[in-house]
Amino acid sequence: MIQKVKMWAKSFTLFELFKGLGITWRNMWRKKITVQYPEEETPVSFRFRGVLALRRYPNGEERCIACKLCEAVCPALAITIESEPRADGTRRTTRYDIDAFKCINCGFCEEACPVDSIVTVPESHYHMEERGENIMTKEKLLAIGDMFEEKIAKAKKLDSEYR
Amino acid sequence: MIEFEIDGVKVKAEPGETIIQAADRAGVYIPRFCYHKKLSIAANCRMCLVEIEKAPKPTPACAFPASQDMKVFTRSPVALKAQRAVMEFLLINHPLDCPVCDQGGECELQDLSMGYGEGVSQYTERKKCVDDEDIGPLISTYMTRCIKCTRCVRFGDEIAGMPEIGAVNRGEDTEISTYVGKSVKSEVSGNIIDICPVGALTSKPYKFTARAWELKQHASIAPHDCLGSNIYIHTASNQYQKGREVKRVVPLDNEKINETWLSDRDRFSYEGLNSENRVTRPMIKQGGKWIETDWQSAMDMAYQGFAKIVEMKNPDAIGGLISPSATTEEHYLFQQLLRAIGTNNIDHRIRQIDFSDSMDSPTFPGLSINIEELEKQDTIVLIGSNIRHEQPLAGVRVRKAWKNGGKVLAINPVKRNYNFDTAKEMTVGISNMVPFLSEVVKALADKYKNKRFIEWLKDIKPSQDAIDFAEEIDKGVETAILLGADSLSHPQAGAIKSLVIAILAILQKGNYGELTTGANSAGAWLAGAVPHRLPTGENDSAGLNAQQMFSQPLDGYLLHGVEPEFDVANPQQALTALRYAPHVVVLSPFVSETMKDYANVILPIGAFSEISGSYVNVEGTTQRFRSANAPMGEARPGWKVLRVMGNFFEFEGFDYKDLEEVQMSFKEESDDDRKFERPMLYMKQDFVAHKPKGLIRIVDWPMYRVDATTRYAKSLQKTISDEERSARIHSKTVKQLKLNIPSGHMVEVIQNDESIQVKLVIDDNVPEKHVYLPAGLEETAGFGEVAGIVEVKIP
Repeated sequence: MIQKVKMWAKSFTLFELFKGLGITWRNMWRKKITVQYPEEETPVSFRFRGVLALRRYPNGEERCIACKLCEAVCPALAITIESEPRADGTRRTTRYDIDAFKCINCGFCEEACPVDSIVTVPESHYHMEERGENIMTKEKLLAIGDMFEEKIAKAKKLDSEYR
Repeated sequence: MIEFEIDGVKVKAEPGETIIQAADRAGVYIPRFCYHKKLSIAANCRMCLVEIEKAPKPTPACAFPASQDMKVFTRSPVALKAQRAVMEFLLINHPLDCPVCDQGGECELQDLSMGYGEGVSQYTERKKCVDDEDIGPLISTYMTRCIKCTRCVRFGDEIAGMPEIGAVNRGEDTEISTYVGKSVKSEVSGNIIDICPVGALTSKPYKFTARAWELKQHASIAPHDCLGSNIYIHTASNQYQKGREVKRVVPLDNEKINETWLSDRDRFSYEGLNSENRVTRPMIKQGGKWIETDWQSAMDMAYQGFAKIVEMKNPDAIGGLISPSATTEEHYLFQQLLRAIGTNNIDHRIRQIDFSDSMDSPTFPGLSINIEELEKQDTIVLIGSNIRHEQPLAGVRVRKAWKNGGKVLAINPVKRNYNFDTAKEMTVGISNMVPFLSEVVKALADKYKNKRFIEWLKDIKPSQDAIDFAEEIDKGVETAILLGADSLSHPQAGAIKSLVIAILAILQKGNYGELTTGANSAGAWLAGAVPHRLPTGENDSAGLNAQQMFSQPLDGYLLHGVEPEFDVANPQQALTALRYAPHVVVLSPFVSETMKDYANVILPIGAFSEISGSYVNVEGTTQRFRSANAPMGEARPGWKVLRVMGNFFEFEGFDYKDLEEVQMSFKEESDDDRKFERPMLYMKQDFVAHKPKGLIRIVDWPMYRVDATTRYAKSLQKTISDEERSARIHSKTVKQLKLNIPSGHMVEVIQNDESIQVKLVIDDNVPEKHVYLPAGLEETAGFGEVAGIVEVKIP
């Protein structure tokens, strides 16, 4: 009986509605957590495995020595390397292709690399428009490396504490 | 038999055997670097230290003989501590550059440091660096990686006879070096790549092109000499060309043939497979222009040409030459096709010029003993054989026989540079081979008072040299007389063979061997790729042989894997005949400008790694092998091309479904029981000296110019010295000819109205009145015949 009276009173005073509006009111004054994506971004860990890149030494020499360990470790078989002696007698790649569609961004290649050449940059902003662009050639990878070198060096430095 | 214990397991050993040998047989692994089963024991790496009960210190297992009831522990704390300590020492000066090292992934040091080493080194000082030497185009060095196991040095001393390589300095400063920066010149030098446990000696052609783990291994048979060395072909997939590419060739152990070694020719010839001269699509000549076409129209054109000749003239206007290195199946189908067309003009003996003994020859030319028995002979007589270059691993066996106290005798047209000493070596030139041999036979006949042979050679008076030589042969208990390429391509080859058989007949002992050219001469004979004999072994009315086919020009030629300008005994005549012939069909993996000049149809066939088949080696063993990769481009295996050619003619019996069916159709009782029978004695030769007026040209085929694949192998070509490319003449003959120029200057050599210019080398190893100018070179392509008359003058 009393229950019924309570229900009757609640529905006539629009109690539920005001309760709900109360939440809206409270949240209206709270700090916003929405990120305005292209303009704003969430912070990214220095270990984030984003776009792949090949690095150079400070003197401009490419790091990669064609040891093919990344090719061997890659679980998705995304990496293809061909190598031969360069004119100065050092071991170098003549082809270093990563199929970005096959790549699962596991970062094993980075782990395997003895010279910190292939890296996953904490950078997720990349896309492809044409068929064929998914094949990241050596030139492309080196260009990405050059572009993000500062970022990569910083990430490597931060990560070195935990190694 | 001694019985002792290794790690609690009972092991048996022969008296005098070392612990490591017994352990290897029992399957207990003891780590090692310097020990190699085929080399002497050095015990200088100390990696094989083991604990022996009651011994005060750890003992090297490779040098310590096993004794009765000894207890050996390979994994006890003492042994492990010793092994770890040794590993730490070895790594003191070894660079940690495994990622750039070609040995990485198949490195004994890498493996053992994983298994037996410690993670940390106490050594913090600077590492020692050693300068690299350039030791030739085949082997690349990185001497800092060397751990001084001296396997290469011992191999050079004991097996290859190349004393160029050795250890200099002492203690920490020890370096492996060629003393004066010389390059290593040996026909088996590539083996030091295999035996080097680290990456100090690696293959130059293979350098940095692949990693061990990418390669797939295919067992196969080496295609360049009559031993049929067992090999592994290593291929890597080439994603961009859709297929597998041959990356290198390494030996496959076979005690009976090649032990663990491989000749450089077999090891590095694979480079020719990826040559830009490979022909990948069928080509036909139309209106003087070459066009690439499909198989159907190319085969049709090849067929039409032959059919027209058969119709207009007769089948005997067609002839076929096949390389002695083709597989037995190809030889069989080749002769089946030509015999079905109706001609017996079939031959594989492209370097032979004397065929007088053909009808009497045994079922196949070969060796009457096993290859491994060669090293047990106490007397080996080499007749016209540069065995080091012709069959490098047979040369290794002969050297072993000599090291074991055997005696080597030789009769050669030119003095050969052997890596063993000869008890007696006769350099007789082309002209005196037969007279000298007949004197030897006469001397032996006189000694044994063998009337039949005395009667046969009644006009011959043995010289003192011949008597001495005969005496040396007679002293032998186990004697092998081996005929090499210089005998087989001699203008009196038949006489030489009959005299050799006469020697054996007089002595009533000894073994006979013909070391044939090409990988499969024996197979070619058995398959009937000769003008006078069918695959069944019966003699047939003889067609034209390899020599006659060009001396009596034909209308149609079918060539299989032959490049006549380099390969045949008379390239000049061959090219003339081929250019004149209206229809020439070539089955070849390679195409050259000369080929485009004489051929009408070029059909691409697979090279050695790309075909399956079988080879019969010199001792008569059939060895089957499977292809390692697919033929390049649209090329097809040779047997398939020949089979389809048979279908074009609509001949019966060409409907083979696979290679096994081809094999079944000519296989006799059992291949394993096949044994070489010594040729029958025949004595119908007359022994006039081959003494034409003028200078005689001595011809042989340099080691790396023997077949097309080798000729296109770039690194091997770089090892051919200038001297090998020149005309070598004795100093007296030079004076007689009034050539007043020193070695190294150009001379003009004229043979059959054709002239070429080559360098002159004054060389007293060449007999007088001879000019030693090899065939098969670019310089001598299409030039003159074997043992012809030449003129030499200053241009």
